[in-house]
Amino acid sequence: MKKYLLLFATFLLLTLSVRAQFEIGVSGGYVNNYVHTNAGYRAFTQYRQYGGFVAGLVLQYRFNDWLAIQADPSYIRKSYELRRDHFFAGIYQYNLNGYLQLPIMAHCSFGGQKWRGFVNAGGYGAYWISGRIQGAMANVFSNSPDVPANQQTSDYYRYNEAYRYDEKYTFDSRRDRRMEWGLVAGGGVEYLLAERFRLFVEARYYYGLTDQQKNYMIDQVPRYNDSYVLQAGCLFNLRRLFHGDAQ
Amino acid sequence: MKSPVSYILPLLLLMTMACRKDLPQLNDPQNYVNANFNEVFDGFWTGMNNNYVFWDIDTVNWDQVYRTYKPLFAKLNVNDSNDVRKAYTYFKQMTSGLVDSHYNISFADTWLKDSNSVNPAFQRKMHSPDFHPRISIFHFYDTIPRHYLDAGRRGFTNTPDKQYVAVSGTINQNILYLFFNGFSLKTLFNTDTINGVKLVEQYFFNALANRTDLKGIIIDVRGNGGGDLDDLNFLLGKMITQPLQFGYTRSKLGNGRLDYTPWAPAYVGPQPGSKAITIPIVMLADAWSISMAEMTTMAVKAMPNGHFVGERTWGANGPLTGNKFYNGGQFSTGWLNLVYTSSLMFKYKDGNIYEGVGFPPDMAVPYNPAALKAGRDLQLEAALSLIH
Repeated sequence: MKKYLLLFATFLLLTLSVRAQFEIGVSGGYVNNYVHTNAGYRAFTQYRQYGGFVAGLVLQYRFNDWLAIQADPSYIRKSYELRRDHFFAGIYQYNLNGYLQLPIMAHCSFGGQKWRGFVNAGGYGAYWISGRIQGAMANVFSNSPDVPANQQTSDYYRYNEAYRYDEKYTFDSRRDRRMEWGLVAGGGVEYLLAERFRLFVEARYYYGLTDQQKNYMIDQVPRYNDSYVLQAGCLFNLRRLFHGDAQ
Repeated sequence: MKSPVSYILPLLLLMTMACRKDLPQLNDPQNYVNANFNEVFDGFWTGMNNNYVFWDIDTVNWDQVYRTYKPLFAKLNVNDSNDVRKAYTYFKQMTSGLVDSHYNISFADTWLKDSNSVNPAFQRKMHSPDFHPRISIFHFYDTIPRHYLDAGRRGFTNTPDKQYVAVSGTINQNILYLFFNGFSLKTLFNTDTINGVKLVEQYFFNALANRTDLKGIIIDVRGNGGGDLDDLNFLLGKMITQPLQFGYTRSKLGNGRLDYTPWAPAYVGPQPGSKAITIPIVMLADAWSISMAEMTTMAVKAMPNGHFVGERTWGANGPLTGNKFYNGGQFSTGWLNLVYTSSLMFKYKDGNIYEGVGFPPDMAVPYNPAALKAGRDLQLEAALSLIH
């Protein structure tokens, strides 16, 4: 086995010296994030997925036609929603969490000269840099007008009026674990334009392995991010961009 | 030779499965069957773990409670009266340091029917050097009208739960005084039939609305154990024409001990037909002013013309309602009738949380049993001195 690995590494180095090319680009797209957790026995309360976006750079170092290593330093919103229903409908909170993320992946491509398919697989590290909470809750000190005795109430806001909020999330160092590690996999197609630009679309899945919370209590319910991303981008071949087609 | 993919894929799958923790199953405390003390303990401990709203500021180490008491409860027999008594002692020990000063455990077990409920704040008060009994209700009902009031009304109303007593009148002709021993003002005022407290309320509200010669108002909530939150707007909402913010509340949001909603502003809302009272309003409160009596005192203190005379209050500031409404607070288990605990945390407008410590007066006048026995009320006299 070691012999094969050694041969593989030598092969990579040789091809690298001859054909390695560095490409840089930008990408962006839509994120649908699920938080893997549960609401336990909280009455009429559920966690739900919530949309976001991702934008960043794409750095690709191509060893040969089919293999590259890729890193995508990016900003990504991994948000989720907590919502109550039935009599408590209208009570909700969006947790809009921003991360600086660095996925590092092996990039394997296949197909023709212009159109090629590819798969990415690797791991990522992300740092939770900011958060915002938006929502509505019943305000116990804000009574709604009395309901006439012969009328029934439709929802909880008929007792206590809604307090609507949109504020910066305050991190709690006792609870919040801001570093996240995980796995990433994706696949897509790319199109080589004018020998210099590589346009691509990709579907990607980020699988968080780190609980968003530190281990601060017994019977803690973990919260993991599961992020589904649809993104598009463009890579520029630096050598060809600045030196024409001359090799 | 297998392809590298055949190694990498299982490895990734293994990493995936190994690295995420299982989601624990959390059960509603009231679903635990009280057939043995393991279940009794788990129901209570879990209920507190997920529903108690003060974990942010409480100093009790609840994980340590688990590690210490779980094995102790495991040794007990729920059908042995001696063990039941021992369990009662453990409940007292486990909860003795909790900051929630509403906190009270009542027991369903018949062997404990003659035992007091477990009330940590009361235990702490009893052992404090400043502890004193409540001022007798007769002081408010007899002595104050006789020694201080020019004219007025007094009355009481009996309900299945409590006897409500109220007194109102004027002092020195133009200082309006109101005493009541519990917050059920709106309910008693809106009854179809007349009752003693309603008559007192009518006297007070008529004077408030119609008299133009008043120099000050004294609201006396000494010994007042609290009650309906609706009364805050019902009483103080008649004295303001703009919403009065005096603090903030927040409740639990998730199951984690530190999962909270943001702070929502706590307001007193003006009532229809209210007028802006600019003369001094003095709250009289003492160490037996609890919950709504404290919140009312805080709200008055937040007014530009508000004062507070007396003693530091009890320290139970968190509003209470059913568990499902704010995703936390009081709960029951099969073995515990009720774990009575706040549904929300309250923070005063100065940014301080007075839960467990009490709200301090701006003019401190200690309890004086000798003066009271002689028919003098030094706290009331101090309140009068603020009104010129």
